[in-house]
Amino acid sequence: MASVRLDGMLKEFLPRLKLSTDAVSVRMLLEDLEAQYPRIRSKLRDENGRLRPYVRVFVNGEDVHELKGLDTPIGAADSVDVLHSIQGG
Amino acid sequence: MAKKGTVRVYVGTRKGGYVVESDLARRKWNVKGPFHEGRDVFHVVPDPRHEGTVYAAVNSGWWGPMLMKSTNGGAKWTELATPNMPLMKKRPAPGTPESEKRPITNLWHIEPGRVDEPDTVYLGVDPASLYRSDDGGKSWEGVAGINEHETRPKWNPGAGGMCLHTILLDPTRPKRMYVGISAAGTFRSDDGGEHFRPVNQGVKVSFLPEKNPPFGQCVHKIAFDPAEPDTLYRQDHDGIYVSHDAMESWKHIGRPLSDDFGFVVTAPKSMPGNAFFAPLHGMSRIFDGSHVQVWRWNDRARSWAKTIQGRPWPGDIGTHREGLASDDLDPAGIYLGTTSGQLFFSNDGAKKWGLIPYTFPAIHSVTAGSPPSR
Repeated sequence: MASVRLDGMLKEFLPRLKLSTDAVSVRMLLEDLEAQYPRIRSKLRDENGRLRPYVRVFVNGEDVHELKGLDTPIGAADSVDVLHSIQGG
Repeated sequence: MAKKGTVRVYVGTRKGGYVVESDLARRKWNVKGPFHEGRDVFHVVPDPRHEGTVYAAVNSGWWGPMLMKSTNGGAKWTELATPNMPLMKKRPAPGTPESEKRPITNLWHIEPGRVDEPDTVYLGVDPASLYRSDDGGKSWEGVAGINEHETRPKWNPGAGGMCLHTILLDPTRPKRMYVGISAAGTFRSDDGGEHFRPVNQGVKVSFLPEKNPPFGQCVHKIAFDPAEPDTLYRQDHDGIYVSHDAMESWKHIGRPLSDDFGFVVTAPKSMPGNAFFAPLHGMSRIFDGSHVQVWRWNDRARSWAKTIQGRPWPGDIGTHREGLASDDLDPAGIYLGTTSGQLFFSNDGAKKWGLIPYTFPAIHSVTAGSPPSR
């Protein structure tokens, strides 16, 4: 199963920041998370299912925006990071 | 015997929300908070139909808009679904078609419904849309009469975004309501929100080729006269106006002021025929003359009066559009929150003013709650 690490700032919305997944795409991973932790849905994606501007998802260190977006495949040996970019002041 | 009760002023700021409390004398204040620390709280509003219930419009740069509800006066909060994003308990089936929705940028204004609709709440957002909940905010329906208005393709955003920031429910006509949108103007519905029409006649527009268009005005805030709901007071980008015919026409009343740009207006319940404004310099968006000022418009005498004498609070200070509020007491309490984080108050209808000794983050909104013993 692929390993998933989530940004520490998300601990307000879900209890675990490290987990494993058998999802085969980033989209499926997010849908699994959203089904299990409903409050996370609006935090990572907008009303049309797109990643919010400051949410970054990496598969094996590569930004999915540079891959196939939400359709980026996830393999059993992959690692996924769900992070946010620095913003604010 | 002294009257008992607590006056609560709810403050939304750039970095969280606060509750500021006093007894009915409103001389000494106790600041509680912040809640939703670090987040933009655009509006905090108590629901007068349900003691202890408070709603907050919270906006996070990272996580998007969050609509929050408390049933114990702000001590504990629960997140509600925002419109278009119900909290789903299971994955959508693969291939489920998604219709393209208008993503909400910011939640702007929460308006509890009428007394005989105890679970109805209205929500105004950016991009200019109105939503209605009939279950205390658990679920929301768009109000198509304004959200899909025929003039919408010609609306433009103001500097704060294209926000629906004002929702007014006529207290005497159950089907009549008004909304204010920057920069689309004011719209009135006489059928409970099924249909709206623009009601801006007489309000000038300096930033469009046509100076008196039927819509497109950059309205900033509107308030009902407390005794005469067909009288409304309006602060626009292009001045201060009054209507005596339910917005069918507007009269420009701000000319005597050195500059009648501004964002705020309030009309206290115990002072019929009076409205308070805090006009700013139109270019800099700070108080003209570099000191805090609140002006009273006496609609019966058709005259203006300055309510802060001298320059007790000099500085280059501004306000946001929800930054002025009044309570329902007599004499009226009036509250002014500034972009510099000061909360000014008057407990006698603006004869005298004081400053609450606490510096907040930049204040977005101020709302005065009704004391339970009212």
